[in-house]
Amino acid sequence: MDKRRYFTRKILNALLTIVLIASFNFVLFRILPGDPARLLVPKGRFSMDAMAKQRANFHLNKPMWEQFVYYWKDTVQLKFGDSFAQKRPVAQVVGERIWPTVLLVGTGTIIATAIGLVTGVIAGWRRNSKFDVITTNSGMVMYSMPTFWVCLIFIMIFATWLRWFPVGRMYDPGVVYTSWFSQFTALMHHLFLPAFTFAITYMGEYHLIVRSSLTGVMREDYVLTARAKGLSDSNVLWKHVVPNAMLPTVTLVMMNIGFVLSGAILTEAVFNWPGLGLLSYDSMVQRDYPVMQAVFLLGSVAVIVANLIADIMYYYLDPRVKA
Amino acid sequence: MIPPRLRTWIFVWTPIAWLVVTLITYPKNRPLRTGFVHLLGGFFVTPSVGNYAAWVPLFLAIALGAYGIVKLIRQAQPSPFPWVLIAAAAESALWFVAASGLFRGHFDLSGKNTSLAWLFQTVLIVLIGAAVYTWGAANPERAELTVWNARQTWQLYRSNWQGMAGLYIMLFFAAMALLAPFLADHAFLDPTAQIGAPFAPPTLAYYHWFGTTEQGMSVLAEFIWSARISLVVGLFATVISTILGASIGIMAGYYHGWFSEVLMRLTDAFLVIPWLPLAMVLVAAWGQNYGILVLIIGITSWPGTARVVRADALRVRELQFIERGRAIGSSNWHIMQKHILPNVFPLVFANTILVVAIAILAETTLSFLGLGDPLNFSWGTMLHNAWDSGAAGLPAWWYLLPPGIAIVFVVLAFTFMGTAFDEVLDPKLRKREQSGGRPDEGPDRLLPLGGGVGGSEGLAEVPGGGIWAGPADDWDPHNDTGGRA
Repeated sequence: MDKRRYFTRKILNALLTIVLIASFNFVLFRILPGDPARLLVPKGRFSMDAMAKQRANFHLNKPMWEQFVYYWKDTVQLKFGDSFAQKRPVAQVVGERIWPTVLLVGTGTIIATAIGLVTGVIAGWRRNSKFDVITTNSGMVMYSMPTFWVCLIFIMIFATWLRWFPVGRMYDPGVVYTSWFSQFTALMHHLFLPAFTFAITYMGEYHLIVRSSLTGVMREDYVLTARAKGLSDSNVLWKHVVPNAMLPTVTLVMMNIGFVLSGAILTEAVFNWPGLGLLSYDSMVQRDYPVMQAVFLLGSVAVIVANLIADIMYYYLDPRVKA
Repeated sequence: MIPPRLRTWIFVWTPIAWLVVTLITYPKNRPLRTGFVHLLGGFFVTPSVGNYAAWVPLFLAIALGAYGIVKLIRQAQPSPFPWVLIAAAAESALWFVAASGLFRGHFDLSGKNTSLAWLFQTVLIVLIGAAVYTWGAANPERAELTVWNARQTWQLYRSNWQGMAGLYIMLFFAAMALLAPFLADHAFLDPTAQIGAPFAPPTLAYYHWFGTTEQGMSVLAEFIWSARISLVVGLFATVISTILGASIGIMAGYYHGWFSEVLMRLTDAFLVIPWLPLAMVLVAAWGQNYGILVLIIGITSWPGTARVVRADALRVRELQFIERGRAIGSSNWHIMQKHILPNVFPLVFANTILVVAIAILAETTLSFLGLGDPLNFSWGTMLHNAWDSGAAGLPAWWYLLPPGIAIVFVVLAFTFMGTAFDEVLDPKLRKREQSGGRPDEGPDRLLPLGGGVGGSEGLAEVPGGGIWAGPADDWDPHNDTGGRA
């Protein structure tokens, strides 16, 4: 398949899926039982005026198809209305939460990928060795552990008993940092525990995937050929096996980066980390529907974009796609 | 005549099934001392139609009756099998009428009429056992094959230590869930039932084994009763997810063209929806109870199954006997049901067990976020309470560890079982096909002997190995669980 056709196809698919999801988002927040305007007015400040205002804001007084048109107009302009809890535009509320999440998930993913890749490659290369048995079984245990439980246990051990790390948040409340360096160290100090917990829950999955795809590649004919040519073990492993085994891993890592939001909700909620995950948890507790809507849409779009990037990377990494 | 082994199975499994059903419907508020007496006496927990339990007999009646009537119409040689099924359907219909109180204003089964419900339950189980018996007697060859296959699969499964470990762990927690009424008095879950000071550490007294909660309640009692909800939600959600995923996957794999394309777009769209925010929105909007939770987990977890099943259905579709079936004029529905489904079934089965693990984790996650049923305990709810009350800062390790460890064990058990079944049911067979043993492999991939099975004489030589007897040297390319040595 030639390059342009492949890319157009992938991009069109992604756009189509985004349109589908956005329409689903429209439907989702309108199949909620009861009058949507009622849901959109914060509890306790209920009045006819407020309802009428929200109706007008969200065009709920128009027929359905017109609402749909307005929904698209607003969505494209990133106008999601005002947050109930913070009484500010949703785009602003969501915008300032993106950076902490990217920091947390980015650090966590780097740790998880690095460790998972190395252990996965070694375990797959030396199958059924003691190292393989230990790492693979602990990988399965990590995979089975609920994220939030790991967070709680780590808080209990490292924050309560050992007092090595603070319990949560990005910075200690009320502290003014004198220099950017002390601010940076404080940030790292606060970041370590959440990022490490996040990494632990993904490490097992990466290990298992790398290991099984490595095993699959090692049975291929070209690996046998490479061995028959008399190449050294490390040469076969790093030049012939690993590059091919990385392909499924790329998809998985990209997919998980796309799931930033749902992945981080639990970690952020337990650690009080002021990112998108905590925002979506708080907005759920406070029934802050406009924020929920925006976060849900953003989360889905992130996955689709990440998938698209994975597809594009695939084109350059895997020559078979070009064929 | 009915194969002797099937007969033995019926006589063993009917009482076990009866015991399980009886334990599932055992009332929460029965005093421990009289428990066993009441177990024999029977009961019906939820007498009103509003409760889900009353709907179970109705669905059973519809399913059994429909199947029985179809069998009756299509049956070539006469056998009592459909009649037994229809009798079972009539009995469950009667049960529904009684349980729902349609007879008169309020037909209350909870009081002195408990033995009536127990009677319905018992008769139904016996009738289903009888139905299997008559089916076996009417189709001895098929029964023989089924029994032989099940045994063969079990033999292979037994040699997989991870699968067996998973099975034992699962049985342990299932037993705990089923026997909950005898292990811990449900009265201890009442918010007013304090047994000690808040956050009291464990002592040797039975209900103090795991210490107390922030309200001074017994962690042990909560822990035991939580097993029920966690397992039941996981299992029911898996049923929904598997039915959706398998049927969509099979259709997407079998059909060509736009229909398949639409199904795959739908699957992709569901695959990219972040399920946790979606579930949070839905639970917030629809209310918090376990029916909703099951539904949400079910409809958000099917795309993975659909993709896997589709890939396998694509492979099966190209096999020769499908083409042959189409050439002699079989309908699409017939081919999908009789040829594609049995061929992808091993995969679906192994996948189902893996989905249970995911569903249990999902339930726990939602409950942890405070979206669970406020009236019942699950492991996730316990951890939510622990988190809310700051147990990690105390640190009240006795409150955090038991539910978490239980979740890890249960999820691990189902993952082990799933991968073990995947190994047992899948790769060897696939390898055999690739090596071209028989070019036109029959429809039932689970039947390794194909057409050669007529009676029990032919079978006697095979058990314990035959075709699959090769040592576990190199045939496990899909084994990503390691450590079989």
